[in-house]
Amino acid sequence: MMIPRNLTRRAFAHRFVVSALVAASALWAFLMSSPRRALAGSPERERTVATDDEKRKWGMAIDLDRCTGCGACVVACRTENNVPATGSAEESDGTDILWMNLLPLEDRSEGSESAPEMLPLPCLHCEDPPCVPVCPVGATYQTGDGIVAQIYDRCIGCRFCEVACPYGVRFFNWDAPEWPTSHLNTLNPDVATRPAGVVEKCTFCSHRIRSVTESARVDGVSLSDTDFQSLPACAESCPAEAIVFGDLNDPGSRVALAATSPRADQLLEHLGTKPKVFHLRRERRH
Amino acid sequence: MEQTTQERRDALGLDRPGRYWLAAVGVSASLALWGAWAYSVQLREGLVATGLRTIGQGGAAWGLYVAFDIYFVGVSFAGISAAALVRLFPLPELRPLTRMAEFLTIIALLMGGMTIMADLGRPLHGLLYLPLYARPSSPFFGTFTLVVAGYLFASLVYFFLAGRACAATCASVPSRWRWLHRLWGSGFRGTHAEAARHRVVSFWLSLLILPLLVVAHSTLGFVFGIVAGRPGWFSALQAPSFVVLAGASGLAMLTLIAASARKLMHLEDVIEAAAFRTLGNFQCVLTLAYLYLMGVEELTAGYAAPTAERALEHSLVSGSYAWMFWSTVGTLALGFGLLLWRFLSRTTRIGWYVAAAAVINVGAILKRLLIVVPSQTDGMLLPYAKGHYVPNWVELSVVAGLFGLASLAFLLFAKIFPIVPLAHPEDGAPDEAPESETRRTWIAGATLAVGLTLAIVGFAGSAGVGAEVYQDPVLPYSPLIFIAGIMLSFCTAIVYEVLPAKRPDGGS
Repeated sequence: MMIPRNLTRRAFAHRFVVSALVAASALWAFLMSSPRRALAGSPERERTVATDDEKRKWGMAIDLDRCTGCGACVVACRTENNVPATGSAEESDGTDILWMNLLPLEDRSEGSESAPEMLPLPCLHCEDPPCVPVCPVGATYQTGDGIVAQIYDRCIGCRFCEVACPYGVRFFNWDAPEWPTSHLNTLNPDVATRPAGVVEKCTFCSHRIRSVTESARVDGVSLSDTDFQSLPACAESCPAEAIVFGDLNDPGSRVALAATSPRADQLLEHLGTKPKVFHLRRERRH
Repeated sequence: MEQTTQERRDALGLDRPGRYWLAAVGVSASLALWGAWAYSVQLREGLVATGLRTIGQGGAAWGLYVAFDIYFVGVSFAGISAAALVRLFPLPELRPLTRMAEFLTIIALLMGGMTIMADLGRPLHGLLYLPLYARPSSPFFGTFTLVVAGYLFASLVYFFLAGRACAATCASVPSRWRWLHRLWGSGFRGTHAEAARHRVVSFWLSLLILPLLVVAHSTLGFVFGIVAGRPGWFSALQAPSFVVLAGASGLAMLTLIAASARKLMHLEDVIEAAAFRTLGNFQCVLTLAYLYLMGVEELTAGYAAPTAERALEHSLVSGSYAWMFWSTVGTLALGFGLLLWRFLSRTTRIGWYVAAAAVINVGAILKRLLIVVPSQTDGMLLPYAKGHYVPNWVELSVVAGLFGLASLAFLLFAKIFPIVPLAHPEDGAPDEAPESETRRTWIAGATLAVGLTLAIVGFAGSAGVGAEVYQDPVLPYSPLIFIAGIMLSFCTAIVYEVLPAKRPDGGS
């Protein structure tokens, strides 16, 4: 662009306004183009919101007295939710993704021959989740039935939710997910795989909840607590039946009764996050 | 007059690449290219190419990038606050530093933005989704909108308006960059009316920029201060501490740049020693204030705080991070001591100020790492094993590359525009019939009104006002509207100062 020798304020103002209009139009055209349409809403989220029965509040109780630390829940969760295999702890080098984790508790005495006490730790789906408000783009949110969900498409990978979660149950995909070749044909078609650069977490197997509730709605049958008790993959796989799932709003459900047990603990209760996963303390030591 | 301008331009070495300059450009460009290559490795392989890892699995999810984001945004404090202070208070010795200070703000903010981009798992998604979905409930909203858009744009407006007189002066002599000088000058003629307008505009801009600066730096502090579940972070002191350390490190960086320019461009007559003394005194007070805040924080955390808070404090003071903690305290205390000594003595030796500025910068970088890392590796409330984080070559290269890019920007800018002002727009000459201010005031007022309305509407839309469930902006593009509103509000300054007078008979 030629700049005249005696550029006056008027000529400058003309150029400024024209350039601003061109830039604004270009920006508008860009934002109205295909990426925006793709982002207009997350189909996954819309489906969840549309079908969730908002009277329900999903919760889980994990009886540490029954837990043997066998790890079946971890394996079942990994398989059900297409969580990539990252090998042993050494191989994964801090990149492992564990929607269901078994955390060894430190308080076992040294040299003790007792079985190591483990803390099964899925996402606690807090009622007041510290991870949700910090997300800068609303990629994580709470469904009407209390599940803390993640929109993978929208996640920008800032990991603020990961550092804000006091329980360490949010996991970042440090690289592209990989599975052994033999597993590729057995990935669960009900659960989306996640790309590199996004955060993922336990969903309480929301796809299973959706499937059961939708089928019941179509068939016109009502569901009872027994339909939910072992719904998530971790609960279903637990040989000791230490994990119970269900509706905390149903006072007669096993999970609601467990939640009111004197043994029931909410982890880090003092933070006020109000977890909907209750851990039932051990009554005796083996 | 033309000869004088030419001589002054020559004295600044404009348009004349010397040997040292070329060598410095070569080094900076190589560093920037190296950083770009390292970043390309990270883009290809994912963030697994860095030393960052999952919290609770022996790593830290935030590390060097976040620490340097805070550092760069902190450094940006210097420029605009120095420029604003010169307008608000009688500090004539800092006047020659205003140009480089304003430029430092702009470059540092851009570097801060790039550091955050480097830290994102999906940077392109970030660029696209933040304008669409940014939510005020996240402190990143403030970082994104107020820091990058508001603060950066306000600094650019200030920079543009304050440079017009200089640009018009430069445009009076032939050079390769004359077109730029003419464009930047935007019809500036140095009249009394223009000078009066600039005085008004720069006063109000300064007055507005200072609180914006405090808010912008505070939002960065809130990124850590609001996280209740992470020992060491949850503290009301975070926001004020961020503002104070930003001031100290920013003015220290300005000292280093001013001293380099003074030495390399032989500006001893222009940048007086008194300028370093003033900057040093400000740093002295801010460093002392920061040491006080650190002391308060450590005493509180170490006295009767919850167990995890105390454990973290012990790992800082006497555990695995002790070397870094005491190096931070040592460098900041040394910087403060040197500056206090210069304050008490009657002589002004620039070397001491440079040394103090250098150690304060080192201390500020270490402190940012201390804020970011230990709370993740040693601050788990559940019985996770302790973690360990060391930045790897990719992160170090990217950060070094950003320093290279910043230095390249400074070197190139110094060749196309005077790095110290040749003329100030507020010094006008009486040669013109007075212009009518009524129409100008009305149009500027309308611009401000539209800008503020857009900002309020955009913020309300982003905050989900009126929505049943707070999730997405109730109005599409609300964050973008908010940013546009803030930018338009600051454009009022340009409108007021540059808007042509009503066309008289035959031209403006």
